[in-house]
Amino acid sequence: MNNSLMILKNIGLISEMFFGMSLIYLILFGSVLSTHKKYPIIQKTILNLSILVLFLYILLNLNNNLSVTGNLLFNFTIIDDYLSFFSKILITSFCLICLLVIKKYIKDQKVNQFEYLIIIMISILGFFLLCSSNDLITAYLAIELQSLAFYIMAAFKKDSFFSVEAGLKYFILGSFSSALLLFGFSLIYGLTGTLNLTDLKDLFFFLYPGIDFTTDTSFNTELLQIALFFILTSLLFKLSVAPLHIWSPDVYENSPTSSTIFFAVISKLSILVFISRIFQFSFHGLIYNWRYFVLLVAVLSVIVGSFTAISQKKLKSLLTYSSISHIGYILISFSAGTFEGIQNLLAYLFIYMLAGLCVWSIFLVLRLKKFYLKKQNKDLTDMSLLIKMNSALAICFTIVLFSIAGFPPLVGFFTKMNIFLTSMESSMYFAAIAAILASVVSTFYYIRVIKILYFEEVIVGNLYYPLSYIEPFIVTSTFFCFMFFFIDPTYLYIISYKIGLLFYFF
Amino acid sequence: MYQFYFENLISFIFAGLLLLSALFMITSKSSVHSVLFLVLSFVCSSILLFLIECEFVSFLFLIIYVGAIAIFFLFVVMMLDVKISEAPNDYIQFFVFGFIFTFFFILLIMLVSSDTFTLNSYIKNVIHMDINYYSNWYYKIDYLSEVKSLGQVIYTFYVLQFLIAGFILLLAVIGSTSLTSTGVYIGSKNQTPFKQISRNLKNAINVF
Repeated sequence: MNNSLMILKNIGLISEMFFGMSLIYLILFGSVLSTHKKYPIIQKTILNLSILVLFLYILLNLNNNLSVTGNLLFNFTIIDDYLSFFSKILITSFCLICLLVIKKYIKDQKVNQFEYLIIIMISILGFFLLCSSNDLITAYLAIELQSLAFYIMAAFKKDSFFSVEAGLKYFILGSFSSALLLFGFSLIYGLTGTLNLTDLKDLFFFLYPGIDFTTDTSFNTELLQIALFFILTSLLFKLSVAPLHIWSPDVYENSPTSSTIFFAVISKLSILVFISRIFQFSFHGLIYNWRYFVLLVAVLSVIVGSFTAISQKKLKSLLTYSSISHIGYILISFSAGTFEGIQNLLAYLFIYMLAGLCVWSIFLVLRLKKFYLKKQNKDLTDMSLLIKMNSALAICFTIVLFSIAGFPPLVGFFTKMNIFLTSMESSMYFAAIAAILASVVSTFYYIRVIKILYFEEVIVGNLYYPLSYIEPFIVTSTFFCFMFFFIDPTYLYIISYKIGLLFYFF
Repeated sequence: MYQFYFENLISFIFAGLLLLSALFMITSKSSVHSVLFLVLSFVCSSILLFLIECEFVSFLFLIIYVGAIAIFFLFVVMMLDVKISEAPNDYIQFFVFGFIFTFFFILLIMLVSSDTFTLNSYIKNVIHMDINYYSNWYYKIDYLSEVKSLGQVIYTFYVLQFLIAGFILLLAVIGSTSLTSTGVYIGSKNQTPFKQISRNLKNAINVF
């Protein structure tokens, strides 16, 4: 093949190439500058440069008009379709906002090594590659890139015993789940002889569901089911759903909050995109083999997330359990296996990420004055009577919590209702009823937080440090997003519907 | 008739070296020496694999076993600073157990290999082990070694995956250095309390 032709053919991935190259330039820049004679702290510079890189990445992606064709690049291992385009744009914009939010935190906590931001950026590269991977090896490498960066991010506050413990715990359990993933991949490769998701779709898409394959001796789907089970276990472990969730409250609570934002808010999207690629796209023909497992896990995680969060006293662990139950709702719509399932998955995930970003940035913004500055692991009572101190922030927090709980004049209501509708339409009545009952329980602890914000009877309130301009801007803009998407949810639903429609046809 | 082949001589030499180093690894008293003999045995076995044209596996042996695992062992052993222990001379009881174990192991290998592999009919003499007298010269001209063919696939079709693997290694280097380095301190600006307490009028003001 001619060399220049090959470059033209693979131009769909030019934004990732740009990202990787600029990462290397960032590393060079940082290592040259930070080992200078005076050892300057270049944390802020690197952060601003990474924001610039992310911004240019968005521009490059928006100008990529090839994404509608859904072409396959790099020897059919990378897919450049609308789902990957949308998820990359989403991830980049959320990461950009996250980097803006954690700026102050990094300065306060004295995370003075510039490598922290480089590692965050490398994990973002892992998200991108995972979103567009059409091949099991590429996906495995991307997952490894992302999770290896996460282990380091969890352990990065070296003077904190908790942070190191969280990093070690995450590393051991995460590498165990990666081993399961590799085992599943190798079983699939042994059974089918291919690692390409499109080839797997061509093999399995036209199987008629419901036929008993055990009588057919030519192909053994039982072993394939075991392989799918292993892959699903590993990926659901990375998503921290209910029977595999034990690690996540510890890791989320003990690692530095700037890392926890990335774990809790952004890492879910890329893995869910890959799960839907492999299960809804390649193995949709075998839906009866994996559907009930996913549904069981989903309902269990909704119930566990709702009931365990009641007894939490720390805001971080409460948010963790709430994220577990949200992933449960998403998986309910995922296990429907329809267009609407994919559509509602993406819509719910978008609203979940938006709400998570708002809540975590409020969490980061509130810095108590009376305590030691480094104390970040907030109790719920640290925010008592926030309405007296900072009423705008309290109102924003309330609105976001109502939206997460699914109250009607907010967009969270629409997305949650649509998930229940989807599960009803694909005749999963018991799952829908269990999820509705659990969501009623889960409103209790959201309202409890609101009660603490407004009506707590304390004699002495808390004092907070004044806010700078950027974090309140982010909080209020996400707050207006909730209002906007309630008044006009068509943008959300049109984009997600388009993705769902285009998803099955490549 | 028996014909002497140079390749066979090399393979016999390295097989003997492998056996010797394995033996020394067990019998040497210093644990550092044992690890070094382990490294030598890995090197020998990788050379043996190289001689039978399994280049990729032999390179993997060198990279993974010698480069990573054995060096890791060596570091651990040197850090633990184990004294040369008085090894008990009960080789006999281990010998019996090990002999039985090895016997069954060899038996298993023989059974499996006799079931799965067939003997090359061109070989008449077992000792002189060259495979074929006939060699296809066209094949020799177009010959691609294992490593070369793997490289041709990796650098063309799977170049992206190769780059991602490179990024993972870069991440591992950055992460491990940034997690283990304690940072650069340019001397703290803290006051030392002892110095301040012990300071009095007489030694604070110097009158020339």
